[in-house]
Amino acid sequence: MDNDRWLWTLGQEMARHQLAPDAVRHVVAEAAAHLRDSGQPALRAFGTPEGYAAAVAESLAARYGRPARPAPGRVRLSARGITKRYRRRTILRSVDLTVRAGEVAAVVGANGAGKSTFLRICAGLLAPDSGEVTLDGRLGYCPQDAGTYDFLLPDEQFVLIGAGRGLDRERSKQIGRAGAASLQWRPAAGVQTRHLSGGTRQKLNLVMASMGEPDVLLLDEPYQGFDRGTYLDFWQHVWRWRDEGRAVVVVTHLLSQLDQVDQVLDLTPASEGAAA
Amino acid sequence: MAALPRYLCHLDSCATFSRVDQERRGQWLRGVLDVCVMALLGRRESYGYELAQALDEAGFGQIQGGTLYPVLLRLQRTGLIAAEWREGGSGPARKYYRLTEDGKQAVARLSADWSVFAGHVDAVIRR
Repeated sequence: MDNDRWLWTLGQEMARHQLAPDAVRHVVAEAAAHLRDSGQPALRAFGTPEGYAAAVAESLAARYGRPARPAPGRVRLSARGITKRYRRRTILRSVDLTVRAGEVAAVVGANGAGKSTFLRICAGLLAPDSGEVTLDGRLGYCPQDAGTYDFLLPDEQFVLIGAGRGLDRERSKQIGRAGAASLQWRPAAGVQTRHLSGGTRQKLNLVMASMGEPDVLLLDEPYQGFDRGTYLDFWQHVWRWRDEGRAVVVVTHLLSQLDQVDQVLDLTPASEGAAA
Repeated sequence: MAALPRYLCHLDSCATFSRVDQERRGQWLRGVLDVCVMALLGRRESYGYELAQALDEAGFGQIQGGTLYPVLLRLQRTGLIAAEWREGGSGPARKYYRLTEDGKQAVARLSADWSVFAGHVDAVIRR
C-alpha cells in the first residue's frame, strides 16, 4: 500500500469512527507531513490505517464515552410466547422478546435454530402456531435474501418502496442513493438487480428496509457478502438508528458486536445449549 | 525529569534485548511519553516529526508516528498543549504544538512525581 492510498484509507476509517470532518482532515494532513519529513512508508510509521484510526478515535474520545443515549422509550415490538412447529418438529418454543424505542436486540443461535423464522413472524409474514406479536409503528424488514426484484433497476426499487412509504419518485431516489452511498455503493445506471453481486443486492435490501424512517427495523443477517469496511459501516448505521430512537432487531451469528447491544435473544435449544 | 534519560540510556547500552525486555521498555515508555513530550514542548514549540527526532536523540530510539500522535491528540484534547497549523517556508504546512499554562503546571507536578517514583525504584533495586 503506497502512502497516498494509506492516507486515503485512514480518512475513510476515521469517518467510520464518526470523527468530525475537520478532525479527519487535520489528522490526515499531519500524518502526510510526518511521512514527508521522515521519508518512511506509512505502514511502518503508523501501522495499519484501521489501527491508527482506532487509536486516534480513542485519543479524541469520540467512541469511548459516546454521548449519553436517551433512555429507551416505549415498547415498539413485543413478541410473547411465540411457538412454531414444522410438521412435528418444534422450531420455536415459547419465545419472548420486547424491544423498546432506542434499543438494539441481537438474535443469535445455530443454523436452523429458527432465527429467520422468528423474524418473519415478527414481520407478520408468517403466522405462529401460538403466541402474539404486537408492533407499534412503521416497520422496515430486511430479509436474508430475496426481497429485491431481479428485473428492476435499483432506482426503480427505491421508487417502489418509497411509494409504499408515501414518498414521491424524486425523493425516493434521493433517499435510496444516499443510503447506497453510505454503504460505499454507487448504483451504475441501467444495471438490473439480477446483475448485482450478492453483497450489493444485500446493500440494496438494507437501503430499502431503512427507507421512510421506520420505527422498527428487523434485519436478517443483512451484511452477508459485505466486505469488512462495509460491515463496519453497517454497524455504524445500527448504532445511529438506535440513537435516533428506533427499535432494531438484528439476526447475527457474529459475536463481536454482542457486548454493545442492549439484549441478546439466544434461540439455541436448551438441550443443545447445555451440550455446547 | 533529570533522572529519566539516565535510565533509558542505561537500557540502551545493553547489547541485545529480548522480546520481553522490549515489551517492558514499551510499557515504561507508555507511562512517561506524555510527560517527556510536554517537557520538550516546555522548552520550545515543535511539531510531531521534530519531537520524534528529539526523543530519538534523548535515547528513546525511534518513536513511531502511530505512538506519538495519539499522545499529542490526547494532550491537546485535555488542554495541556495547544496546536496551530503553520505554513513552512518551502516545506508543507505543519501542526505546531506548544505547552499551555495548564500544561506547565502539569509538567512541574509530574516531573516532581517522577523523581520521587524513580528514587523509590532506584532505592529498592540498588539495595
